[in-house]
Amino acid sequence: MKQLFKQRLTTHLKEMMRYLRLVFNDYFVLALLFVIGGLGYYYSNTLKQLHTGLWWAPIVIIGILLVSVQLGRFATLIEAPDYVFLLPREADLYHYLKSGFNYSLSIALSIQVLFWILLMPFIQVTMHVTAIDLYLLLATAVLLKTTWLNTDFARKYHLKRRWLSSRFLFRLLVPVVSFGFSIYINYWIGLAVALIALIVSWVSRRSWVTRSLDWTKMISDENSRMHTVYQFFNLFTDVPMLQGSVKRRRYVDGILNRIKLIPKNTYLYLYGHGIVRDNEMSGLYVRLLVIGTLLLVFVKGEMLPIFLSLLFIYLIGFQMIPFYFHFSDNAFVHVYPITDKYQLMSFQRVLLYLLTTVGVVFAIAVVAVNYTSLVTVFGVIIGEALEIWAFIYVYLPRRLARSERIR
Amino acid sequence: MSLKVSDLVGGYSQVPVLKDVNFDVKDGELVGLIGLNGAGKSTTINHIIGLLTPFKGSITINGTGLNDDVKKYKEQIAYIPEQPIVYKELTLKEHLEMTMLAYNLDQDQAWERAHQLLKLFRLDNKLDWFPDNFSKGMRQKVMIVCAFLTNAKLFIIDEPFLGLDPLAVNDLLNLISERKKQGASILMSTHVLDTAQRYCDRFVLLHDGKVRTEGTIEELRKLFPEAGDSLNDIYLTLAREGDAS
Repeated sequence: MKQLFKQRLTTHLKEMMRYLRLVFNDYFVLALLFVIGGLGYYYSNTLKQLHTGLWWAPIVIIGILLVSVQLGRFATLIEAPDYVFLLPREADLYHYLKSGFNYSLSIALSIQVLFWILLMPFIQVTMHVTAIDLYLLLATAVLLKTTWLNTDFARKYHLKRRWLSSRFLFRLLVPVVSFGFSIYINYWIGLAVALIALIVSWVSRRSWVTRSLDWTKMISDENSRMHTVYQFFNLFTDVPMLQGSVKRRRYVDGILNRIKLIPKNTYLYLYGHGIVRDNEMSGLYVRLLVIGTLLLVFVKGEMLPIFLSLLFIYLIGFQMIPFYFHFSDNAFVHVYPITDKYQLMSFQRVLLYLLTTVGVVFAIAVVAVNYTSLVTVFGVIIGEALEIWAFIYVYLPRRLARSERIR
Repeated sequence: MSLKVSDLVGGYSQVPVLKDVNFDVKDGELVGLIGLNGAGKSTTINHIIGLLTPFKGSITINGTGLNDDVKKYKEQIAYIPEQPIVYKELTLKEHLEMTMLAYNLDQDQAWERAHQLLKLFRLDNKLDWFPDNFSKGMRQKVMIVCAFLTNAKLFIIDEPFLGLDPLAVNDLLNLISERKKQGASILMSTHVLDTAQRYCDRFVLLHDGKVRTEGTIEELRKLFPEAGDSLNDIYLTLAREGDAS
């Protein structure tokens, strides 16, 4: 069983390396060096202006430590067919999972150390601390992370006492209390709280390792973990493993139900429901919309807001284009008695809705911030309208025709 | 007594799908689990293989419950899921090796048996292929070969006939009777009622999460004399009655 984990880990690491090579290509590494250098410079400059006794500093420290403790998940490397093929070996699977636990722990603890090193100068500037205090804080983070992972381990079993895998308790409450004690009262007390939590969680292991495994949860946990990893890589390159997950999103039904059920609207129906429910697409749309809006709220100027809103509309529209082919692998759409003409028209209509929404939100943000400058107000409205029209009715058909030829 | 399901209440979330299900499968017996879509066949099976935990009631295999001794319980089971599920990155040969590893089988004996089974299902020239690219029927055959490679005492087979060619159906039924003779117990869920009628020793008729009735075909005929002779007729009558009431 340990052998099996080793085998899986090797394949897994190989796969990760392949993607990491794609992510960290020369340009990206160069850009990253500049960003890290810039941030480091900014950080050291900021530190110079800080002093002890700031009321918000402890909260920032606790917040960052809390984030750090959440990082690094339990990698089981379990695959869906395991529940059939490894069924008779379920009792031995503990050893397999333990290897996974140790592997995950080593990664998670490195993350804790990294965060601790990054945070150290900030703590030294804003708090009265000794070297021992700092080490105690690191030890607390390490204990909390170990407990966190052990809780995730317990989660994989059909537990009798459900609170042993309570995410609220071990991921949030205990760390908040423990770090709170450390920062506000005494580092030893914080460490003691973390230690008690770890002992409780660790001793309880004996009670659940003999119980049956919750395969369904284990498989879905691992899938969601890998999905996050792939999603990250998907920002840089194409990840074939990433099959879109789907959410119901009942609250959009009101809009979707307005599509008339006539043959002409077949694709409109498909694209409408598809884009809303496909997590990949709707996630991208919402993320870019939120980032763009936030950016526009903070940016002031005459031309810059116009330029930014046009850029973001283009980005969002551009990311949506591949969805045109989303259903072309589905045999049904080739069987339906409808013509391709409506496919493009429907896609354009869906995009028109989506981009107009973006345009309106952006325009409101820009106008609210820059209402004194008439050039900006009218520039944004006219610019957006022109861009959306050109993108959907001039650029899109050509672009799709070209993609169609390549396919 | 091999498999015993008593007073099982269970399901996926808080709402029970199964309400007080009771039945057993004795040694050397093939029991057919019959029911409409959504009657609770797969839910029952998921409880038996331990994917779900019962809200109430118990399931034992030769007297061992799942949480008494996970190892002893699970070692006795071989399972063929309704949807064949295979490793994307393993070849057919590696799937067989995985099974031998998991069930701790003697390599030489197991390979001898594997070759027989592969020949039977005409997979013997595909050892280095990836089952992930096979058709549904062929992947189903892979699952069957893996399951019958083992010396399990209890076979759980979920709807095995869909997608299999008639020859493979026949071979599967032969394999099942061979294992029956050796004393293994088999629980099989299916919709193919005329095949079930010919091969199963007993039937458990599930409807709406409850056992409507159980017994041999003769017993069922006696219980519902007006329903007709075949399992098909009896089942249709029961299902309609169940919906009406």
